[in-house]
Amino acid sequence: MAAWLARRVVAALAILWTVATLTFVAVHAAPGEPFLPAAERPADPAVVAELRRQFGLDRPLHVQYARYLGALATGDLGVSFSQRRPVAAAIAAALPHTLFLAAAALLLDYVLGIAIGLVQAATAGRRLDDALTVVTLMIASLPAFWVALVLLLVFGEWLRWLPVAGAYDPALYDALPLAGRVADRLRHLALPAATLGLLGAAATARYQRAALLEALGQEYVRTARAKGLDERRVLLRHAWRNALVPITALLGLALPFLLTGAVLVETVFAWPGMGRLAADAITLRDYPLVTGTAVTASAVVVLGSLVADLLLRAADPRVRVHD
Amino acid sequence: MPRLAPFAIAVVLAAGCRPADACRGDVCGTLVVAALGEPATLLPPVTDQQLARDVHDQLFLKLADVGMSANTIGDADFEPQLAQRWEWEDSLTLVFHLHPDARWHDGRPVTAGDVAFTFAAYTDSQVNSPARPALARIAGVTARDSLTAVFRFSQAFPEMFYEAVHHLRVLPQHLLGDLPRGQWSTAEFGRAPVGNGPYRLASWTPGVALTLTADTGFFLGRPHLARLVWRFQPDLAAAVNLVVAGDADAIEVLVSPDNVRRARETPHLALYPYPGLAYGYLGFNLRANGGASRPHPVFGDREVRRALTMAVDRERMRANALGELAKVPPGPIPTLWPLWEPRPRALRYDTAAARRLLAERGWVDRDGDGVREKAGVPLAFAIMLPSTSGLRRQYARLLQEQLARVGAKVAIDEVDGPVYGERTAAGRFDAYLGAWNVDPTPSTGIGGIWTSGAIGRANHGGYANPAFDDLVARASSGAGSPDSVRALWRRALETFNDDAPAVVLFAMDNVAAVHARVADVRIRPDSYWALVRTWRIPADRLIARDRVAPAAN
Repeated sequence: MAAWLARRVVAALAILWTVATLTFVAVHAAPGEPFLPAAERPADPAVVAELRRQFGLDRPLHVQYARYLGALATGDLGVSFSQRRPVAAAIAAALPHTLFLAAAALLLDYVLGIAIGLVQAATAGRRLDDALTVVTLMIASLPAFWVALVLLLVFGEWLRWLPVAGAYDPALYDALPLAGRVADRLRHLALPAATLGLLGAAATARYQRAALLEALGQEYVRTARAKGLDERRVLLRHAWRNALVPITALLGLALPFLLTGAVLVETVFAWPGMGRLAADAITLRDYPLVTGTAVTASAVVVLGSLVADLLLRAADPRVRVHD
Repeated sequence: MPRLAPFAIAVVLAAGCRPADACRGDVCGTLVVAALGEPATLLPPVTDQQLARDVHDQLFLKLADVGMSANTIGDADFEPQLAQRWEWEDSLTLVFHLHPDARWHDGRPVTAGDVAFTFAAYTDSQVNSPARPALARIAGVTARDSLTAVFRFSQAFPEMFYEAVHHLRVLPQHLLGDLPRGQWSTAEFGRAPVGNGPYRLASWTPGVALTLTADTGFFLGRPHLARLVWRFQPDLAAAVNLVVAGDADAIEVLVSPDNVRRARETPHLALYPYPGLAYGYLGFNLRANGGASRPHPVFGDREVRRALTMAVDRERMRANALGELAKVPPGPIPTLWPLWEPRPRALRYDTAAARRLLAERGWVDRDGDGVREKAGVPLAFAIMLPSTSGLRRQYARLLQEQLARVGAKVAIDEVDGPVYGERTAAGRFDAYLGAWNVDPTPSTGIGGIWTSGAIGRANHGGYANPAFDDLVARASSGAGSPDSVRALWRRALETFNDDAPAVVLFAMDNVAAVHARVADVRIRPDSYWALVRTWRIPADRLIARDRVAPAAN
């Protein structure tokens, strides 16, 4: 176990270094001047040059890279050009919003996806199964931003049931009692979480259906049926448990999906998370913030993958045998 | 269908949150502004972002401010702020007497020492203020006593008073004096400023909102609105959604006729039109794309620029893209300037004359492909624009269509903001669709953008005509009667239009949308929220967020 964990930690550090380096090279190679946006006010070249000096952009690229890696090794992600504050502070403010959204989306994804998968497996080959296959396939193939815009239009604009932007109402939130704050958070969470959750659930349902059908064909299931157990018990107590193993493995893959999907969804819903932070940083050529968000997102994904592997090891003894 | 959630929240509020006694008389209410962006910092000298300036208007006072007339000549139309009064000791010495009741939000008095400190900071190269070049004609500022600040100018000109007060927001020396000037751009003070204005910062949640609360002891009178909330929503359509949905109360510019129509159809919104300070143009690069030493093969020829200008039906484009929200300007000027006149002075739309002129200059379609050529070079160029601007994209397509009719092949080159900024500054473009949001005065609004002195800063196309420069310099110096100064500006505009370094396409008339429960709304065209402390919400129109008690101060 210790050796396995050590190997994973070394691999994680290598991944983070690779991400940091590739992102650093990519943002510096991209055209565009961070301190010359398409502003509608004249910019003085002397002011721009002084800003470049203050933020270290006047140095050769290899010197900037060495300084960046040195600082990164000590946990210093630099100072944001656009927010004029430490990148770590910007990420610390945004990350909880993204994790909250991802957790809600993941919950919806798994609860809905597993439930649909169960129904499909139980009705395999029948009309309901076919209909759900078509629906899940259709939803899984929709782009996240399109789903987000449709939900926003229907529930935010036409019906006006839910707020169209933000993680909470900044004009009311502080004055609300605890129950009111929770309700306000949930209202704002509903549309972005539904967007990500629905897309994830469609894919999860398809995996769950396939895993269940495979489990239902196993000998231990035939044995259970031969013992006279009713079909519901066979499905839920025997087949489903084993069919959860590949779904658990999917957890590690769900995080990257949620984090990349969050870039678009957070932008559409003005959700103050990592996705919107990264999108704004790219638009503004905020180099430290772009690299900081990329490294942090990678760390979250690597960590999520590690947790998923640990869960898998706990759920399936065969994984430990193959170690 | 009624909105259930606000009702539920109102019930929760009524049931158990802070008491609804936040209102006393007409001192009450919350105004939520849908903000198209977020400030980088709130330390005034280090930024000239529009949104930061809007918030600064509430936090940091100037000595005096531009009045509703937006007249920047002399001092008669200026409103006192930190300065109770002022006088001219001689033609180069201006003395301000500070209001004795003016206080910083930490309770310390505002002094003339703060004013002198502020000038020193704004003009320090380490602070790197965008306003520094505009203060070049002020030789120095000193404190004669604790309430008397003395400005000395190096030369006399009509807008001396404007230059003394417009750019300087007085800063607290006791809080910033020890902060190394090289660190001001990232100073913590910029996130937690202590000002002297009608509002003080209550909270700033990055990516979400910024909240100000009324300063109960403000020396010029307590603001009526208890809270101002800037809710960050960088996308214009989404910001308009917030206002239409009632999640925000105000947006300063609606920009497009569609947004105006949506706001007009929303019963809880009132619309407020006002003259604008922005104009848009098609700028030609007079120098070769990326090579400043050679003339541009197309736009280096003045007559070709004139022909292309005559090929553009600016009225039709304005009607198509902006409707009644804009006018075709008589030159590179916004509708707010007193120089504005409805009669276009630019080259008139005349495609026959345009074709004739192009042919005279040797541009002829010899191979019948619809595109003119000259010495094997096609009359083809790209128009660069920032991809974030839907309006400019619309204009680019209209220009493409109109210029094709006279045999010019136009490509559209959409790039993102930083690339646009980099390429315009470096001269790496053929033509570009630009827009300026200018100061209330033509001295900087024309002199700082279109003269040869502005090449390398804002004059991206490299237009240089000594006659134009001379007219602008003479008009800016203000020698002579007001009528003769105005005549000089007119001649400058005519010279510009004759040379056609750009086709000035539109000048905006802005429309703001504000929740109808807000009364006494007045918008100063050069600074949208400058007068917000005089707005109020009558007691019989309050909604849930108006009753939220602001944090004590």
